[in-house]
Amino acid sequence: MKLSEREDELEQLLVEREVRQFLNYEAELLDERNLHEWFDHVADDISYRMPRRLMHENTAASFSEKGYYFNEDYGSLEARVKRFDSEYAWAERPPTRTERYVTNVVVDEYDDDEVQVTNNLLVYLSRGDSEDHSFYSAKRHDRLRRRDDTFELVDREILLNQTVLSTDNVSIFL
Amino acid sequence: MAADDKPKVPEQAVQDAREALDEGFFPLEFFNDDDLHELEMERIFGQAWVFVGHESEIPEPGDYARRYIGDDTFIFVRDESGEVNLLFDSCRHRGAKVCRAEQGNTSHFRCPYHGWTYKNNGEAAGIPQKSKAFKELDREEYGLAHVPRLETYEGLVFASLAEEGPTLEEWLGDFKWYFDIHMKLPEGGMEVIGEPHRWVIDANWKTIADNFNGDSYHTAWAHGSVLDLELGGEETVGHAGTGESMDRHIHCDGHTTSIRGFEDEDVFLTYPEEVVADLFTKEGLSEGQWQVARQALSFTGGIFPNFGFLHFGDTTDDPNKDVAPFFTIRKWRPLGPDQMELWSWGLAPKNAPEEFKERMYKMYTSNFGPTGNFEQDDVPIWKGITDVAGGQFASKQGYQLNYQMGLDWMSEMDLDEEWDGPGFAYSENLEEGGMRLFHEQWYEMLAGNAREDAIGVPMNIKEER
Repeated sequence: MKLSEREDELEQLLVEREVRQFLNYEAELLDERNLHEWFDHVADDISYRMPRRLMHENTAASFSEKGYYFNEDYGSLEARVKRFDSEYAWAERPPTRTERYVTNVVVDEYDDDEVQVTNNLLVYLSRGDSEDHSFYSAKRHDRLRRRDDTFELVDREILLNQTVLSTDNVSIFL
Repeated sequence: MAADDKPKVPEQAVQDAREALDEGFFPLEFFNDDDLHELEMERIFGQAWVFVGHESEIPEPGDYARRYIGDDTFIFVRDESGEVNLLFDSCRHRGAKVCRAEQGNTSHFRCPYHGWTYKNNGEAAGIPQKSKAFKELDREEYGLAHVPRLETYEGLVFASLAEEGPTLEEWLGDFKWYFDIHMKLPEGGMEVIGEPHRWVIDANWKTIADNFNGDSYHTAWAHGSVLDLELGGEETVGHAGTGESMDRHIHCDGHTTSIRGFEDEDVFLTYPEEVVADLFTKEGLSEGQWQVARQALSFTGGIFPNFGFLHFGDTTDDPNKDVAPFFTIRKWRPLGPDQMELWSWGLAPKNAPEEFKERMYKMYTSNFGPTGNFEQDDVPIWKGITDVAGGQFASKQGYQLNYQMGLDWMSEMDLDEEWDGPGFAYSENLEEGGMRLFHEQWYEMLAGNAREDAIGVPMNIKEER
């Protein structure tokens, strides 16, 4: 097949590369707890949700219709970000050490403005001066909007694997 | 006590420490001790009325949810006739679990091992090859075991693993006067939204019991970030003893509640006017209960041993949005001396508009549960207490924690003699009697005594009465 006939495929590859680069950059900002810079990449019409996973007998992927851990809009997400500036936000004093692994990035659809992408997230968490560590594992459905030469996050659904969480709290963004 | 040269006898240690509580002391090591944990499971969680769930979680016949009391697994299920049951999740043949999901709907539970099948009221319905293999077995005697005692109060289902003892009515005692305010205020009562949050933390269950039984002293400090961001008003998050609000700590039949409010104002926990006008009713409440509801801004409380609640007004998830209330109930389930599973539910008035119920649930998750702006900061603190309690230093030094706030040589604590409700109402919230009351009951039950021996008159006012 001639290269010219593979233009669509090339374009998709480029989009995937851009998206992967953005998700990796975002992960780095969150790992560094550079929360304000991260929040600069949040669209003002954001919907950021983490529904409660249910454990049913006949399906592995069942989520609550009413129960969730996060159901944030721009204002409530901003309040959460700003709260960590307070010297009394003890959950993150000292900060959790995290490493995010973003994998299985699949661009589901895209146009000139927005990209819909599914990806997997593994977060390693370590706290205090103990050897204890924990993980969150989730699938994310993200919608990213082009803004200048980068993206902003418009919609994120975080589908955590655990039904019963094994951390003190969720004081990080996923 | 020469604790280092002989093995510790937990019951003796408990007895020795009981007297120190009269002086307002509690040993740090009791927050992380293997032997005490065993005694707690047997004498407290094997006896007490323990919260299981709310009836609204299983509204339809066949609806079920897996629930736990201490180390035991049960099925909380509504049967075909509409009755609520709590069945021990263990096949009568070989003991296998017959329920494999956290929740669902089913007419029958079938054992995966040999196929014994039970109706959702526990009755044995089918035993494979019965006529050949178990021909003399009486099916009626081989249903799933019911918990010895199961009772409901305003939709809240509690169970006791003990065959005998006080009824739930007696266990709650006059404290119902206070809890009725939450459950009966809106016409139609309260219902649970979604499913409970569950998370496992490395902390002793008594740390959170202390917190819910009247720790008004911690809020401004531990939750200062919520104040900084104006996600909760000064009077809600509060500074113990310095606020403009009317603060009461109430001890009633072994349980406690802390109330903040404003005298002679219609506050109603900042529920919106239309909810107050359309749903709130004096029916089922006395004039005194109605007055408390009317003036209240927030309630915190604990029902002994492992049930807590918060009904807060004046909170938000975003300082640019209007404030709204939330209502959460919770239980702390001990998994070991240094570990518990927290269960936390968000509730709303059953007959409120859907949009408002969603707003209330949002207020709950923004403030409490594993992601809550308040609760995020509590848990690592409880974990720290448990951590330091587990070492050698605490036991070798006989390290004592100070619970003396409100004892008469520390501060003047007046009772509100005008108070309309039952129990003892302190006219301010700068005291730790609720926690001492919790630990008194803990001591009595651990010693094998009746819990009632602890729940008479608060210790700092015994002299004058």
